[in-house]
Amino acid sequence: MVSLWRTIRSARRVGLKEWWRQMQYIGDAKSGTYIGIDQFGNRYFENRNSEEEVPGRQRWVDLAQHEYHASQVPPEWHSWLQHIRKDSPDNDKVMQASTPPWKVEWTETLTGTRGAYKSYNTAAPKMYSWQPKSIPRQ
Amino acid sequence: MSAALRTAVSGPAFRAALRPQVSLGLSAQRLLHTSIPAKQAEPTPSFSHSPTEPMTILAHKNSNQYSLETPQNKGEYVMTTLDKIANWARQSSMWPVTFGLACCAVEMMHMAAARYDQDRLGIIFRASPRQSEIMIVAGTLTNKMAPALRRVYDQMPEPRWVVSMGSCANGGGYYHYSYSVVRGCDRVVPVDIYVPGCPPTAEALLYGMLQLQRKMRRTRKAMLWYRR
Repeated sequence: MVSLWRTIRSARRVGLKEWWRQMQYIGDAKSGTYIGIDQFGNRYFENRNSEEEVPGRQRWVDLAQHEYHASQVPPEWHSWLQHIRKDSPDNDKVMQASTPPWKVEWTETLTGTRGAYKSYNTAAPKMYSWQPKSIPRQ
Repeated sequence: MSAALRTAVSGPAFRAALRPQVSLGLSAQRLLHTSIPAKQAEPTPSFSHSPTEPMTILAHKNSNQYSLETPQNKGEYVMTTLDKIANWARQSSMWPVTFGLACCAVEMMHMAAARYDQDRLGIIFRASPRQSEIMIVAGTLTNKMAPALRRVYDQMPEPRWVVSMGSCANGGGYYHYSYSVVRGCDRVVPVDIYVPGCPPTAEALLYGMLQLQRKMRRTRKAMLWYRR
């Protein structure tokens, strides 16, 4: 839980610059072991000391983008982050063996941009199949 | 006759005709390509790993919104700054009016409860449409309720947003073919965010609210007024 002692302890461990970044983006002073980095530059950390972190906050991500949101975490790291897999994707033999070579690259949600998902829709040809045209009177 | 043919076949003219016309062909090609080829638009990549140029930025390039977000002179710079201040104020105090109609309303309550804790984002449910700017349509919108929904929407002050929550509000859902159900609340009010699910989890609704924050952040009303 957040306390003055915890904040000072974490700031001493991670350094002032990292602490400031954490306060801006995570909103909490956290310290733990560095687990890995994904292809987008997001960094993943873990602190399994029950004296320092309450259950559910033991694994966390420091997202690389300023405009961050949850879908920037790729699925492999998501499964580590949510305790679906025990090991990180770098050390998870089962995940590496079951990753198909034809898998497409992960992209974050593009809602609100021009890359937004548009569903398959057959309404338009039904609505505009017949356009009445009237010949002007002579 | 045969001697004349033999001289024609082995003569210098015949050999010249057989020779591969390399130099002429090359010069002809060079003539064709002296002008600079028209610049082709680079295809947008399907993914990006860069944190400074993510996919959202790449998909954004050369759009009207990109032009609005890029100030060209000092006046426009002031306008974008004013826009950003207004957007910050709006996105950090989203007050939705609860329009709980069915089981989705329970998930909407979960978003307000301790685990997902909407208060940390400044989202506070208001009972009156006159004090709120967002309407979360949570549940099946029946024909009987539709006029009330529209009236509540009309009572909300501008600017206002609508979040359609769940299959029933999105497009009728399970009750699409019912005689008494509106096939999507977008037939009655303009919808900003559709949250899919039946019902969507509280997490999904909260993600929808974060997407709405993104949408609010894109607003450039002062800039539009200035450029007009």
